[in-house]
Amino acid sequence: MTIVHHPSEETLVTFVAGSLCEGNSLVVATHLAHCNECRSAIRDMTELAGGILEQGDVTEITEATRNAALDKLDDTPIEARPDPIAMAPADRPLAPLSIYEGGKWQWVGPGVYRQFIDVPNDTGTRVFMLKAAPGTRLPDHRHVGTEWTCILKGAFRHDHGRFGAGDFDEADGRHDHNPFVEEGEACICLVALNGHVEMTGWLGRLIQPFVRL
Amino acid sequence: MDQSSGNALTDPSPEQLIDLIARSQDKTAFTILFDAYAPRVKYFLIRNGASSASADELAQEALLTVWRKAHYFSADRGTASSWIFTIARNLRIDETRRDKRAQLYAMVGEFDDIDPDRPDELVSATEHAKRVRSAMTQLPDDQLEVVKWSFVEGAAHSEIAERLGLPLGTVKSRLRLAMRRMRKSLEDLA
Repeated sequence: MTIVHHPSEETLVTFVAGSLCEGNSLVVATHLAHCNECRSAIRDMTELAGGILEQGDVTEITEATRNAALDKLDDTPIEARPDPIAMAPADRPLAPLSIYEGGKWQWVGPGVYRQFIDVPNDTGTRVFMLKAAPGTRLPDHRHVGTEWTCILKGAFRHDHGRFGAGDFDEADGRHDHNPFVEEGEACICLVALNGHVEMTGWLGRLIQPFVRL
Repeated sequence: MDQSSGNALTDPSPEQLIDLIARSQDKTAFTILFDAYAPRVKYFLIRNGASSASADELAQEALLTVWRKAHYFSADRGTASSWIFTIARNLRIDETRRDKRAQLYAMVGEFDDIDPDRPDELVSATEHAKRVRSAMTQLPDDQLEVVKWSFVEGAAHSEIAERLGLPLGTVKSRLRLAMRRMRKSLEDLA
């Protein structure tokens, strides 16, 4: 699998820092499940965070807390480490997603289906899988907010290139999109959408009230 | 702010101390680790938005997690400091949101364990950590500042921009430049 499109460095830093919302974290983790290169970047960034912690300032711990910690040791068993989960390489791309429940596939337009993933959306991010038939041309649209996508299967193309399995598409309000799915295989992707999508073509504007992406 | 306590450990190394805990439930090793790291974790948590009381509690919890999970630490994956950072980060997430992100992080870590040929395994984790730290000290101040804000405060880029009075694009590009510079200086390790 050759991955061409990766999350930006800023996005990976934010993931490591723990400041990405859960939905966006899930899409980034799904890319990481595909991408050795970004996992290596994550390790470097975590090491950098460790260096900052180690060389950073300190705030004194109260004596009471320190004593309480030491007192608790006798009642705190040291856990045995379980063997790593045996995971076939083929199962890996979907592993992060498998932590969550998925709903039913719903029809959203000709050849296009959507399945919501049960990630709490109180941060305003909705997560879903989108499945589009080969050759589908999605309505022209513009993002108001961000739309992060990791492709799981098949491929689509838009103004910014070809996106195949494992590729990460980090779209924001700056981009107009008119993606189309390559012939041959249905395209399935995992999407975290923050904000909403405005359809810009005449057909899109026509179906927007029904689609509500 | 007390700068005098919590000295960085050299001998024995924090990695060796965690190993002592795992092998012989060594309380002295724990005490040394606690004194070195709990005040750093507490500082990190306060900057990350925790109240002083809750940071005290969570710092204690972080170090007790080091004790409980000592067997989970593997020195060939990274340093004690980076592991403790991830523990503190996950506790902070759990405290504020209680979501499944800690599971996602654990899973991403496991992919590395089962990966047969990681290119960067050619170099030891200690050497790698040393290079990262040296790259960090070579970052220009304006880039390092944005990096620290990202990791320590866990601040959103827009928040960093506002607090530092910089355009959002500048924050992002400084972060990007810092990461590229750091990764470039690590390239010859692979």
